Amino acid sequence: MDTIEKRIEEILMDEDDSIDYKNEKHLIDDRLLDSFGIISLVSDLEEEFDVKINAVDMVPENFNSIEGMASMIKKLQDN
Amino acid sequence: MGYNTLPYLFIFLPLSLIVYQLSPRRYRRYVLLAFSLTYFFMWSRQLIIYLLLTAAGVWGIGLLIERSGDRKGLRRLFATTGIGGLFAILLYLKYTNFFIRIIDQASGASLPEVRILAPIGVSFYTLEAVGYLLEVYWGRINADRSLFSVTLFLSFFPQTMEGPIARYQDTASQLNAGNPVSEQQIFDGMCRIIWGMIKKLVIADRLSIVVNELYHNHAAYDGIMIPIAAVSYAVQLYMEFSGVMDIVIGSAGMFGIRLPENFRQPFFSQSASEFWRRWHITLGVWLKTYVFYPVTTSEMTMRWNRFARKKFGRYITKIGTSFLALTPVWLFNGLWHGGAFNYIFYGLYYLALLMLEVILEPVKKAFYKKTGFDKNGRAFTLIRILRTWLIIFTGELFFRAEGFMAGLSMFISGFTNIGISRLFDGSLLGLGLDKADWFAVIAGTIVVFIADILKEKQIDLKAYLAKRNVVIRFGAYYALIFGLIIFGAYGAGYRPVDLIYAGF
Repeated sequence: MDTIEKRIEEILMDEDDSIDYKNEKHLIDDRLLDSFGIISLVSDLEEEFDVKINAVDMVPENFNSIEGMASMIKKLQDN
Repeated sequence: MGYNTLPYLFIFLPLSLIVYQLSPRRYRRYVLLAFSLTYFFMWSRQLIIYLLLTAAGVWGIGLLIERSGDRKGLRRLFATTGIGGLFAILLYLKYTNFFIRIIDQASGASLPEVRILAPIGVSFYTLEAVGYLLEVYWGRINADRSLFSVTLFLSFFPQTMEGPIARYQDTASQLNAGNPVSEQQIFDGMCRIIWGMIKKLVIADRLSIVVNELYHNHAAYDGIMIPIAAVSYAVQLYMEFSGVMDIVIGSAGMFGIRLPENFRQPFFSQSASEFWRRWHITLGVWLKTYVFYPVTTSEMTMRWNRFARKKFGRYITKIGTSFLALTPVWLFNGLWHGGAFNYIFYGLYYLALLMLEVILEPVKKAFYKKTGFDKNGRAFTLIRILRTWLIIFTGELFFRAEGFMAGLSMFISGFTNIGISRLFDGSLLGLGLDKADWFAVIAGTIVVFIADILKEKQIDLKAYLAKRNVVIRFGAYYALIFGLIIFGAYGAGYRPVDLIYAGF
């Protein structure tokens, strides 16, 4: 089975394949991912991992990197 | 006693610094609070009761939310009551007459308008208070146990009139720390304040004369004078608001308190959305954090996403979601500036532009892919910046106009009787400024523009100067001070110009 990280990368590549997501650790701070990008991403992640992302989760560290997103999703799945 | 006045700069601020520094560390926050409440009282007199009520209410409700623990319903009830109460007060203070006018127009009645006095900065501290309650509700911060601390967070005197709209977690601990004042902080703060004063006194206050004339007697102007009106106001507003922010951030910096920046070279934006990430940043961040994201992650949006993805595909879904999330953001942005139709139009104008950005995104991508053009090339970057200027200037024309219909009439008359020759035939000298004034405005704007270019290129002028020898360094500082003294708009014929954003 694919790891959470791998599946997140695929979702991100679907949206914009010009970014090196594996090595990029500042997607939000460097504005590679903007509010509009986040809109699609949130619903993609919710659907793919069957979790509910809330406004409280919308902080840069949860979306700056694949690892950040994976750790947020694991936390949401555990709850 | 606005931030640009001598009593503030030469009495209130130095006195507060001295008392603060001389007080024992643990009492310094009370010194800040005492000066802040005094400042507020000097502006708003008995209306300070609104601020005190807000502070007490927010403090109490914050604690109640926290003590509700895991009882989600109860937490939500307290948060909704608190936020509802805050907005109810704001609506009453700022929008009662707007609603009366709407009722009058809709029903033909003639209800008399009521005289309601609002305390200074109510639009700013209310947003901070709402943000605080939401952060506690979300569990991102602990409720503050100290009423003094919450009151200081909402009333810190440099921020009272025009923000920046701070988040509790960004400033509260600094305000309470009571850190000592250092020579370097005073020096840095003074430099920043002088820079802000130059923007305000040399450029903005002069342009305010032109702007008042063009907008107040707008029926007398057409053609090229309308773009002049639009550009003049956009430049005035930038110099004024960012200049006051320099004074505010410089003042707070003297106490070692770092406030969030409100501007980041907005005229280098390449799109409307980027402009709002660089202009009045703290309002944009507030709207994103407390309106945009809650709507984006709401049940309603989730349901739309599930439904639309299967039915219409990703593209249409994203357009729909963007519309759902951006509409409240921009209606709020427009209305927050005041109850008037031109502000609502201003909000809807940016809503339409941002929706266009979302809709045209695939077209844009396809264009660059197909043509192979480098979208980051100089020519395209410049075109995008100039296009954004057009967007900004048009928006500000409606924003400043004395009513929506006046804005529309000005916009339309800009296309008749263009008369470019009026730029050179002395017409500009009939707007209240003589040649020397125009020179000061244009030269000052160029200086600020160059400073913005350097900042955009991340060249730190202050650090650069600090490394130069003493003659160059002090030459530059004295040039700033004398520039302010010689070219500042004061003396006979000039009256101090009120702060624009303090009116919102």
